[in-house]
Amino acid sequence: MDTFSYLGQGFGVALTPYNLITALSGTLIGTIVGLLPGLGPINGVALLIPIAFALGLPPESALILLAAVYLGCEYGGRISSILLNIPGEASTVMTTLDGYPMARKGLAGVALSLSAWSSFIGAFIATCGMVLFAPLLAKWAIAFGPAEYFVLMVFAIVCLGGMAGDRPLKTFIAALIGLFLSAVGIDANSGVYRFTGDNIHLTDGIQFVVLVLGLFSISEILLLLEKTHRGQEAVKATGRMMFNFKEASAVFVVNIRCGLMGFIMGVLPGAGATLASAVAYMTEKRLAGKSGTFGEGDMRGLAAPETAIGASACGALVPMLTLGVPGSGTTAVMIGALSLYNITPGPMLFQQQPDIVWGLIASLFIANIMLVILNIPMIRIFTRILSVPNWALVPVIAIITAIGVYAVHATTFDLFLMVGIGIFGYILRKLDFPLSPILLGFILGGLMEQNLRRALSISNGSMDILWSSNITLGVWVLVAVMLLLPVVRIWRKRSVQRRALADV
Amino acid sequence: MVLQRIFAAVLLLVCLGLALMAWPYQAPFSYEPVGPRAFPLLMLGLMGLGLIYMFFRPKAVVHSEEEPEMDRETLIKISLCTVLLLIFAGLFEPLGFILSSALIGIPMARLYGGRWLPSIVVVSLMSVGLYLLFDKAMDVPLPLGLLEVLEN
Repeated sequence: MDTFSYLGQGFGVALTPYNLITALSGTLIGTIVGLLPGLGPINGVALLIPIAFALGLPPESALILLAAVYLGCEYGGRISSILLNIPGEASTVMTTLDGYPMARKGLAGVALSLSAWSSFIGAFIATCGMVLFAPLLAKWAIAFGPAEYFVLMVFAIVCLGGMAGDRPLKTFIAALIGLFLSAVGIDANSGVYRFTGDNIHLTDGIQFVVLVLGLFSISEILLLLEKTHRGQEAVKATGRMMFNFKEASAVFVVNIRCGLMGFIMGVLPGAGATLASAVAYMTEKRLAGKSGTFGEGDMRGLAAPETAIGASACGALVPMLTLGVPGSGTTAVMIGALSLYNITPGPMLFQQQPDIVWGLIASLFIANIMLVILNIPMIRIFTRILSVPNWALVPVIAIITAIGVYAVHATTFDLFLMVGIGIFGYILRKLDFPLSPILLGFILGGLMEQNLRRALSISNGSMDILWSSNITLGVWVLVAVMLLLPVVRIWRKRSVQRRALADV
Repeated sequence: MVLQRIFAAVLLLVCLGLALMAWPYQAPFSYEPVGPRAFPLLMLGLMGLGLIYMFFRPKAVVHSEEEPEMDRETLIKISLCTVLLLIFAGLFEPLGFILSSALIGIPMARLYGGRWLPSIVVVSLMSVGLYLLFDKAMDVPLPLGLLEVLEN
């Protein structure tokens, strides 16, 4: 029952007028940012970190703002994938498959509101799951020592590669780049300056905001340069805006099923929204069998990925809040934001600052409801934003990115570093490297090194401590499974190909 | 394929260089078994292994349909854009936010296919607007640079 009294307290925090306005403006800003080509949840949240800090928001309001922006961005990305057939990011690819055909049938408004509704149900299921499981996990996580944490982080990194599917090696290299970058700067334990090249601006390490904005905004600006021609015209959202009861009940079972699936996927580190939406879509397609018109505007095909995305976005907050281990790029950014406020997410957060945790969880409920309500009157305005041409958009993105970077430390060195990182990120993208593992590695790197060193200090240098407890052994087994997954997958693919060749 | 090989080789060299750089990192007086160089060296080593594998067995990059092939023109555009961003970073403090962002934003808008007049109008208005929004309304301090004269 403790949980419910805490949740009530959380609603008390989230429902203060100040935080309500914060959540409302967060969802609005997020939706607009998510709409714009090239800006996704990661940029949106990262850009707002220095601003939230400069505004002097108290930590719980800042976190509410960031969470609202996160949800808003996910929603905004949906608008461009349904109306333009351009997925803003990898996770919304599945949404375009049935969302765009629905819009072409003249059901644009219905598709949008139905997707918002699905995502709401997904988020609702996941938030309920979070309310139930997060405190349990947090209680359990207190038993974790440095050795356990270290192994858990190894698992998180390996998970990224194992789940990435088609390019495990590149994901792995990207994560290692991030892990390495976290070591730049003064070493907290010994005071040795590492990889600074005697540059005074690097002693503090690479600023997280600089890394995020360089990797994502600047590289995106350069990528947009290749696509100077505008894509399709947006489908006009006319006619009925709201789905009706029949449509909602037709997809309700799908919602529940995909919500549960998405939550589990979200909790697993590294799996995240992209995988969740793909698996949800594929499963529903198979379950529907011949009766479905998937790919031609089936409502279930729209509801499935959207529910899964909504659920996994909230599910990803579970490992972040309870263990302090982020599971996705966006939650990595949020941990970066929390560390600006000197808050270390982890099991103790639930005991020491329940206001922050439960306020955040409650505001997720509220932000989701806001998104559904906002959708109806605002959709025409949002569609107009879609027609802003690139030439007006890109300079503004560049300028705002520079403001975000400058706001952290007020040095031009950071601006140069951002451009450099941006070029590197652009090259990585051209070579098909995923970028969010770099962020995860960067966040996990510092924690990983600290925990490894602490663990080995406890054991006085003996490596045995890394596999002496049951928890560590269990996690090592999981690590091994995750490492084997891509190998098995490649092997299976090859044997299928060979059989296909033999048949011919 | 070739590009990936070059990339892997270059990054491998960088890893080597960084590892050499990390080698002398020793704590002046140490009270823990793991020093400051173990973790970065471990990461660089693993990265090196991955890169060596990539160098010998590169995988073809699958291009999506909407992504056009790189040609000379886009390469020139991209390098121009990078140069503009670097100039922006350099001029940010001396010229101040408003002037530098207008100065860089206008050619950038041109680069993305805007016409002269709309580009100038939109970017100038944006840079003043963003300054007022961030510096005055949101308390994010931005440099005024040359325009400081107007302040008083």
